[in-house]
Amino acid sequence: MTTATHAPGETTGCPAHAGRDDRKSAKVAEANLAPAPGSRVIGSFAAGRDILRSPKVRQAGASADVVDLSHPDEISFFFLDGDLHRKRRAAVAGLFAPKTIVTRHQRVMNRTMDAIVADLQARGSAPLDELSWQMAVDVAADIVGLTDSDTNANLARRVKKVLEASVARKPGRLNALVFNAKMLVHVGAFWKHDLLPAIEARRKQPRDDVISHMVKENYSKKGMIMECLSYGGAGMMTTREFIVMAAWHLFEKAALRERYLTGGQDDQFAILEEILRLDPVASMLHRRAAEPVEGVLADGETACISIREANVDEAITGPCPFQLDPDRARRMKVAGPYMSFGDGPHRCPGAQVALHETRIFLDRLLRLPGVKLVSEPEVLWNPQIQGYELRGAVVACDRG
Amino acid sequence: MVAITFVAVDGLEQRIDATDGLSLMENAVAGGIDAIEAICGGNAYCGTCRVHVDPAWRAVTGEITEIEEPMIEASGDTDPGVRLSCQITVTPELEGLLVRTPASQS
Repeated sequence: MTTATHAPGETTGCPAHAGRDDRKSAKVAEANLAPAPGSRVIGSFAAGRDILRSPKVRQAGASADVVDLSHPDEISFFFLDGDLHRKRRAAVAGLFAPKTIVTRHQRVMNRTMDAIVADLQARGSAPLDELSWQMAVDVAADIVGLTDSDTNANLARRVKKVLEASVARKPGRLNALVFNAKMLVHVGAFWKHDLLPAIEARRKQPRDDVISHMVKENYSKKGMIMECLSYGGAGMMTTREFIVMAAWHLFEKAALRERYLTGGQDDQFAILEEILRLDPVASMLHRRAAEPVEGVLADGETACISIREANVDEAITGPCPFQLDPDRARRMKVAGPYMSFGDGPHRCPGAQVALHETRIFLDRLLRLPGVKLVSEPEVLWNPQIQGYELRGAVVACDRG
Repeated sequence: MVAITFVAVDGLEQRIDATDGLSLMENAVAGGIDAIEAICGGNAYCGTCRVHVDPAWRAVTGEITEIEEPMIEASGDTDPGVRLSCQITVTPELEGLLVRTPASQS
């Protein structure tokens, strides 16, 4: 059951633009979205926010239901709740603060973009998701402190293998054996080639990053692995897709692209946030009520908060919710990303990092002489993370 | 409604009629206070809704809470009255509250 005020595809309150739908991932999501069995889908923005902000709910869905919470120092902050979760997040929150992004991370973003531009101009064309992957990996690796691997490309490949194996876990004893064997191999490679060298380097010379903090606080080996994979993996895999999605919209819409290139940074962020509202990388969040949440959840009930439905809830978007309108959030006096980065204590810590690196990537890319989208991406669905993947887009520019 | 005054760094005063029960940040955004960016939407995860509470009102609004500390520290804002406005709930006791907004939120 959904509590949305409209059906998907319906544009109530917008006769002038009836039928217009600027979303590029809606169809693949509608065909593939799979809320956790037994969960109730919440499509209302207000109800979803109330649940996500409530101290009475716990993480649920995906692998949250099989995580052993009896050893919190050995699991990712992602699966924790309450005080313990807040303290773990707070300890490194400064790494994701707007001021830190501007004063520190933007240097990494610009340096990576210099390399991407030079490579693209030398080759003449390149797969767009390969370029966005390079940006996402470099930035996430620097914030986490995974800077002592052989190459960032190999680091990213190893992280991806662990994450893909971890979310593909299935019930049953045989599956558990297979799962454990696969994880042992993939996590072992990540530990040996990426995390251990970084830990050794930080023991000699601490820096301001997640690994330095964990070394200082004597995290266990398992605890370090889980935390690094959570911060690093999430940052890499989601930003890669968002950059391609935003580029696709901007290549396709000349007026929007012109506005992006001539407006200030605030306007660029408004455009990116509006694209993300329509095509959020994450599609749903699950929470279980540890006690009743007044008016929205019964005791023990599991909610599936639909980010996609909440983001087009006319009560918060105003009319024409499927139309790309960068002035919408300001007009409606709401935070631009709506529910795209989640809400409440578990809101995505890297939200601002993702927006900044996407802004810089596209600002540089779209200004290149002769730049064009040679082929549009194919919209695929990743059932493990319940989100879209954009593959096959190719960008070209004049050779430099 | 609760009358609250925001003073910008250039001295410009804006008075809003705030709704009891909502956060000071939500009321500021709804009231068109541009200096309150609140880019995380009220989760104490960005530090861009900072206000400097007038000395006369600090006992009423209270001290910085534990949730606010990381982002205030990261912002480098050392004003003795600094708070995240998303963590201040408007109540009738705040009638006449005066807060100043910083020169920059980032």
